[in-house]
Amino acid sequence: MKNVMIPKPHEITHVIKHTKAEYTFRVACDDETKHGQFYMLSIPKIGEAPISVSGKGDGYLEFTIRKVGRLTEGVFGLDVGDTIFMRGPYGNSFPVEDFENKHLVVITGGTGMAPVKTMLDYFSENQDKIKSLHLISGFRDLDCVLFTDEIDKYKCDFNVICSLDNMEAPGFHKGLVTEHIKKIHFDTFDEYSVVVVGPPLMMHFTTKELLANGVDESRIWVSIERKMHCAVGKCGHCKINDTYVCLEGPIFNYTDAKDLID
Amino acid sequence: MDMRSDILNLMKNRGDLYRFLSKVYIKEMDPAFLDSMKAMSFPNISLESDLEEGFKELKEYLDNMSKDAVDDLAADYAKTFLSAGISNGSAAFPYESVYTSKDRLVMQEAWADVREIYASYGLSKGNVNSDVLEDHIALELEFMALLCKKSAEDIDEIKLLRSQSDFLDNHLLNWVPDFCKDVEEYAETKFYKAIAKITKGFLKLDRQILDKVIDIVIEKNGSRCYSLSTDRMDQILKQLKKNYRVYAPKRFEKRGPKGDSDLVRYAEIDSVKDIVLDVQSDFSPKEIYYPISQTMIYFENSHSSESILKEEKDIIIFARPCDINGIESLDKIFLENGGYADIYYKRLRDKVKFFMIECKEGFEDCFCVSMGSNKTDNYSVAVRLGEDNILVEVKDVEFFSLFRDEKSADFTPMFVESNKKVVKLPKIESDEDLKKAYGLEFWKNYDEKCIGCGGCCTVCGTCSCFDTVDVIYSDTSTDGERKRVWSSCMLDTFTLTAGGKRFRETNGENMRFRTLHKVYDFKKRFGTDRHMCVGCGRCDMRCPQDISFSDTINTFSEEMEL
Ligand SMILES: Cc1cc2nc3c(=O)[nH]c(=O)nc-3n(C[C@H](O)[C@H](O)[C@H](O)COP(=O)(O)OP(=O)(O)OC[C@H]3O[C@@H](n4cnc5c(N)ncnc54)[C@H](O)[C@@H]3O)c2cc1C
Ligand code: SF4
Ligand code: SF4
Ligand code: FES
Repeated sequence: MKNVMIPKPHEITHVIKHTKAEYTFRVACDDETKHGQFYMLSIPKIGEAPISVSGKGDGYLEFTIRKVGRLTEGVFGLDVGDTIFMRGPYGNSFPVEDFENKHLVVITGGTGMAPVKTMLDYFSENQDKIKSLHLISGFRDLDCVLFTDEIDKYKCDFNVICSLDNMEAPGFHKGLVTEHIKKIHFDTFDEYSVVVVGPPLMMHFTTKELLANGVDESRIWVSIERKMHCAVGKCGHCKINDTYVCLEGPIFNYTDAKDLID
Repeated sequence: MDMRSDILNLMKNRGDLYRFLSKVYIKEMDPAFLDSMKAMSFPNISLESDLEEGFKELKEYLDNMSKDAVDDLAADYAKTFLSAGISNGSAAFPYESVYTSKDRLVMQEAWADVREIYASYGLSKGNVNSDVLEDHIALELEFMALLCKKSAEDIDEIKLLRSQSDFLDNHLLNWVPDFCKDVEEYAETKFYKAIAKITKGFLKLDRQILDKVIDIVIEKNGSRCYSLSTDRMDQILKQLKKNYRVYAPKRFEKRGPKGDSDLVRYAEIDSVKDIVLDVQSDFSPKEIYYPISQTMIYFENSHSSESILKEEKDIIIFARPCDINGIESLDKIFLENGGYADIYYKRLRDKVKFFMIECKEGFEDCFCVSMGSNKTDNYSVAVRLGEDNILVEVKDVEFFSLFRDEKSADFTPMFVESNKKVVKLPKIESDEDLKKAYGLEFWKNYDEKCIGCGGCCTVCGTCSCFDTVDVIYSDTSTDGERKRVWSSCMLDTFTLTAGGKRFRETNGENMRFRTLHKVYDFKKRFGTDRHMCVGCGRCDMRCPQDISFSDTINTFSEEMEL
């Protein structure tokens, strides 16, 4: 019988330092993953934590990690050539086939960009598969901006609105992401979907604003985070109602997500 | 003919065929054996096509045998099984190890394994007086013949039948079909080709026969009831303890959670007199199969390995119906949820057998009847424990032989039919109902009253949540482990994520979550007819704030109806 809790060692091949507290780690790995899935990353004797796949390519996966606690701090101590332990991929994925040949609006807050990034890369490389893509990405201030190179590229491919919450800077809008939603002309789209990923409060106000702008609930998709200690439906930490976020999530249609009451 | 002699006959016939085949494979045919074969009448079986054809072809061969048959067969034997005279050495080498090891070598794992099995029956190669290795086909077939003979002596001994089907599964059927294919390819005489077909067909058929016989014997024996003295039961317990760890609720004086009362918890017992009957145990039996803290992975330098279960014995638990039903919840979560089975749970759970303690009255805080968990038939043995007399009902064939000599008795275990505490479950039939349930002001009563100690989940036999924690043995050590330890949704850290966000912020919300999980979510998710609470009353006994879960459910239900 397979032991699902045993992680496998993988070599770190690149470390990209975005900000002081946010690094992307590229890891040698041949797994097939779907957009929005996550892994349990761990360092023996330190701990384990769920982290989304933020990039993928031939023979590697990337994880963009924010340093907040025990495990993430441990990971920040690792360098190229070091080993990180992983098990996964876990969770469901964005319904990309559903998004194809329609208009897509992606709204992210901070590291919320990580779980949608492989999908953005996919549409950036396959622009014929999407009618139009609008990306609203919010960051607290200039020091918090992630994926600058990627965003520059997206700017050529999509309609990108990059915003800083409380700071003016060249190339950036100012204000919370919610303030830019009205710039998207939903009424001109025949068919479209909206993806929202970010911190809980950001997601709360963003979906509220979307609904106020006439977006139907069923068009909105969110990726949510909960505490996770197993990712395989055993530890109970991620349970909301009769739903296990690690199993049925982390991606939910808003019609379901709105009924998830912790 | 009655069933008994039917089975006896069957065992004898199976044994004869195994012995016959063994004799054919062990060495070249001698003239006497060949002659006696001619006189044999072979069954006309149409149950298995290989077997039927094999017999037909063998008969044809024997009927048309030439004068030189003995010499022809000897040459064919040497070529087919010993690879004599063949340059590339391709032959049907009659050793299991050759067929199951990577490099086709003799004396590998399979060989060591069968030696061990023979030894457990007190057998060694000396018994057959031959110079072939133990995993030679002839010896494996001879071993089966021997087990058939033993079974004929005691047809109720299910263990013997099971060891036959196990030996077929783990050994003979693992390689002999391939071996027979090779024989059919390499042998030149029709004789060995036919023997190969017979062997292949017979093993396959015999495996099916064994399943049937096991079913019949189990059914025939049904359950058996006996009356025995406490002393006699203790003797049986001693027997059991050779192969099992036996647990029951046991009293630990002055170690109780409240003041200097006694603590009753599950522990190994030496006598049935140790079993506490007058109060509900403070803890459920779950710590036996789901330990409070359990190592999952060991880390040594950069190497990681799955923790090993040192326990070799199986486990018997004396438990009441509520707790036996309670294990179903853990099974759902650990074995089914998400399609992942948890190895750490499974490896202990698979060992567990229940001896049900008959429970007719229940205790002060029990509400098992309301939860529909007062009855069960999921036990190996049921016991009514009297002062100095014990009644048992034995359902599991595994234990038949142990009680066989006791005095027969009439005994049908009884169950609690009503509790003092009656619980009314909430009516939640629509999304609106559920929203209402979430929104009830009443949960706020627990914000202050509950102190979030998590004790209620600790004592509960259906609560399954845990935390994983990594530990390092000492500051300077390179070794450590990843463990899991019981957790509780009533702790304020349960939903706490890095950065201080708590998804449920108050004890009242936690109480709402726990209650709904226990009496709504779980049942909805798994579509079972049982809730995640069996009404054992332990959480009420445990709560330092005198919060009663049965009262909570009742008030919740009333609020829902307002
Ligand atoms: C599906 C999913 C995807 C995620 N993707 C990313 C990502 O791409 N990048 C990123 O930086 N972060 C991501 N997170 C959040 C990340 O898991 C937490 O920041 C991380 O667990 C913190 O662990 P720690 O040991 O450093 O912190 P500590 O506070 O020391 O954590 C202790 C334990 O609590 C648990 N825990 C604490 N916070 C969280 C949390 N927010 N979510 C889940 N478990 C938590 C962890 O199991 C951890 O072992 C994701 C979370 C989820 C649920
Ligand atoms: S919730 Fe309380 S009454 Fe129900 S099974 Fe658990 S401990 Fe027993
Ligand atoms: S209900 Fe009682 S036992 Fe449970 S957490 Fe609250 S105070 Fe502790
Ligand atoms: S993370 Fe353990 S149950 Fe979902």
